[in-house]
Amino acid sequence: MERKPIIEFKDFSFKYKIQSKATLHDINLTIYEGEKVLILGPSGCGKSTLMSCINGLIPFSNEGTITGSCKVNGRETKNLSIFELSKEVGTVLQDSDAQFVGLSVGEDIAFSMENEMVPRKEMIPEVEKLAGTVGMQDFIDALPFDLSGGQKQKVALAGVISDKVNILMFDEPLAALDPKMGLATIELIDQVSKDKTKTVIIIEHRLEDVLYRPVDRIILMGEGKIIADTTPIELLNSDLLKQSGVREPLYITAMKYAGCDISKNKTICDIENLELSDDDKEKLMAFFHEETPEIKKEPGEEVIRLENVSFGYEHGKNVVKDVDIAIKKGERVAVVGKNGAGKSTMAKLITGIHRPGKGHIYIGGKDYKKFTVKEIGEQVGYVMQMPNQMIVKDIIKDEVELALRLRNISEEEITERSSNALKACGLYSMRKWPVDSISYGQKKRVTVASIMALGPDTIILDEPTAGQDYRHYTDIIKFINRLNSEYGKTIIFITHDMHLAIENTDRAIVFADGEIIADESVYSVLSNDEIIDKANLKQTSLYRLAKKMDISPEKFIEHFIRYERMVKSGE
Amino acid sequence: MNNRFLINYIPGSTPIHKLNGTTKVLGFIAITVAIIATFDFRVMLAIFALCMLGVASMKPNWKPVAFMFGFLFVMNGIIGSLMVFLISPESGLTKTGMETIFWQTEGGKLYMSWELLWYAWAMFFKRVTSLSSAILFILSITPSELAAGLNSLKMPYKVCTIVSLAFRTIPDIARDFTDIKNSMQMRGVELEKASLPNKLKQYVMMLVPLLMSSFAKVENISNSMDLRSYGKCKGRTWYSEHPATKGDYIARGVIVLMFLWCAFYIIFFRNINAPAVDFWCPWVPKEISGYWF
Repeated sequence: MERKPIIEFKDFSFKYKIQSKATLHDINLTIYEGEKVLILGPSGCGKSTLMSCINGLIPFSNEGTITGSCKVNGRETKNLSIFELSKEVGTVLQDSDAQFVGLSVGEDIAFSMENEMVPRKEMIPEVEKLAGTVGMQDFIDALPFDLSGGQKQKVALAGVISDKVNILMFDEPLAALDPKMGLATIELIDQVSKDKTKTVIIIEHRLEDVLYRPVDRIILMGEGKIIADTTPIELLNSDLLKQSGVREPLYITAMKYAGCDISKNKTICDIENLELSDDDKEKLMAFFHEETPEIKKEPGEEVIRLENVSFGYEHGKNVVKDVDIAIKKGERVAVVGKNGAGKSTMAKLITGIHRPGKGHIYIGGKDYKKFTVKEIGEQVGYVMQMPNQMIVKDIIKDEVELALRLRNISEEEITERSSNALKACGLYSMRKWPVDSISYGQKKRVTVASIMALGPDTIILDEPTAGQDYRHYTDIIKFINRLNSEYGKTIIFITHDMHLAIENTDRAIVFADGEIIADESVYSVLSNDEIIDKANLKQTSLYRLAKKMDISPEKFIEHFIRYERMVKSGE
Repeated sequence: MNNRFLINYIPGSTPIHKLNGTTKVLGFIAITVAIIATFDFRVMLAIFALCMLGVASMKPNWKPVAFMFGFLFVMNGIIGSLMVFLISPESGLTKTGMETIFWQTEGGKLYMSWELLWYAWAMFFKRVTSLSSAILFILSITPSELAAGLNSLKMPYKVCTIVSLAFRTIPDIARDFTDIKNSMQMRGVELEKASLPNKLKQYVMMLVPLLMSSFAKVENISNSMDLRSYGKCKGRTWYSEHPATKGDYIARGVIVLMFLWCAFYIIFFRNINAPAVDFWCPWVPKEISGYWF
């Protein structure tokens, strides 16, 4: 059957007006009607720019120079307005909160119809129908403030998916979702793509999560070029992923460690239906029984202790209920759970922004009742998710010194302490640089340095790697781990990211509805179906692999992590 | 989450809530004109009663309403009246036409007359009436209806969508600000203990990250609007603006009568037949005040 090309790039290049170098080079790419394509690549590889070329944001809102040709449904995009293109291409943007412009679900879904001057009489039944296709029919009058990230994304999809639109693009749909919602989103996208008149393009760097449902083709990008345009099977078999800074699915890594030959395995892309040959099983068992050094840690003295703590914003409604936690010096702890389960409230309790309604909190062995927020801040530092939410000064050094200056410390001591913090964070040589001129990862370091200057024992990091690709993720994590191993800081991660939790923490505290439902090693948490379900987590692919082998998932995950740490420390 | 700072995001179900945006905006304009036009306590009392009846019919949460009236009483009823007494005690005479002094200091620099008290009371009551009409309006309308209503009165739709977008983002910005404030407190900013200029300085400092994180969102918002045809047509339809119902026609009838009355009142009682003084006072005779009714 002749396939109908729907998007065609020919020798296409694009350079933003404000940049000196082209962002996209020599793109030659054809996407056919009804295909489901994943565009994969690290941050800054040009995948979002490619998307903007298809939906018309380029050149409509971003000026620049286009060479070559880009056709959507046979028509050159250069000659089309963004409004004409929006009839054929629907785009769901990454920030599901910002793209929700209506004041209710119905209003947001109706937004494009309002702009097209569709009479209200026709709009109402259409909105109901569209809300139904994404499963939001019971929430038509709901407010944006009451919706989860996943629900907002469904609304965004409903807002662009009218009958005429036959190309749907999803820009990093998993970026802001917890693991379970992420799976639901991938599932929803898959349902949409079942309609063979719709072409679906997903832009992501979380390969393992996207492959939860099959895709027809993967286009791997790097530095503005297409590196590979191939099937998932071939891509998984190659070394291209590692080279381009995209994380390989964990089960593939495990199978590669074991030395399995995955090139002939037709089921390799889908962990659910993966078939293991006898040879594979044998090799995996051998891998499983290999000796790995035990991860040992001498527990230090207690730095934080919560005793029977309850807290509620409204009387009688506790959002944190009877919580007991003890954290020792030098530990790395992950606090996980779905949004609203009490994770961030707990952080606010520990830092003294809120005080417990019932129970006691001890910091460094002392009841913190008499400490001010400022005094607690000298022992427990809190780093917000987005660096821009914290940075108030123009120059790196001033930012790091800010907290010290607020404490009437002598000038010499300020210089000494800020220099030490800057050195620990690898920023000393850049201390006089303006904050505007540095990258996201460096800004993150600045915020950590500004906390480190106060010399706290414990640092709480809220989603430190959110929205970062694998390479940046690795940089940030390496840096934080160094603070732990070299400077002995206790690290508390508040996170949805299970990769982060598995690989970098010794212990997970799982919240659900304000209560702690688990406080144990990450691998036991991730092997417990009930906890996974309650906390909106998902099983890792390692769990599935272990199940297929009939071995204990907990032990297998633990072995994998030990092995990985051994390999990485050897590097 | 609904009903933050009195603002409703979800339309209510009482008869006034059910009117459409155009009717509500028109009604508010009519009442405002009526309040501006008059200094006559009797007219204000009627408007006030009308507004409070409307407010009561919507079964609001009375706590914030009472708070706003209390705030107005302190700021205007007490402090404002005291200012009038201190600065221009002769206002009693100039505003009502008479002066019945019942207390004065020895030199006669400060004195108090019954008419001054009445004048202060009437001024205060005018503000109370304005507030009651504003509360009526705010309680009755959702931001989307406001946008649609303004647009139907020929306000350009780009201005109207800014109104509804503002209400969409206010709660988010408020939350961001709390987060930023908390993180600054942990770093050592002590807002409670700081002197006023210092406090101000620290709040300004916190605006930097607030603006940075808000600006980052602007691009996303505008892209998402562009991609959904915002600005394509000269006009725009509104999902939230339901067509006029029987209730709307009745309400609009009342509003037209109010406008007619305002026109009549302004022409005859404020111009052609204007009284000698602005403020009607119960015991000042007609011959002096010029209020012949």
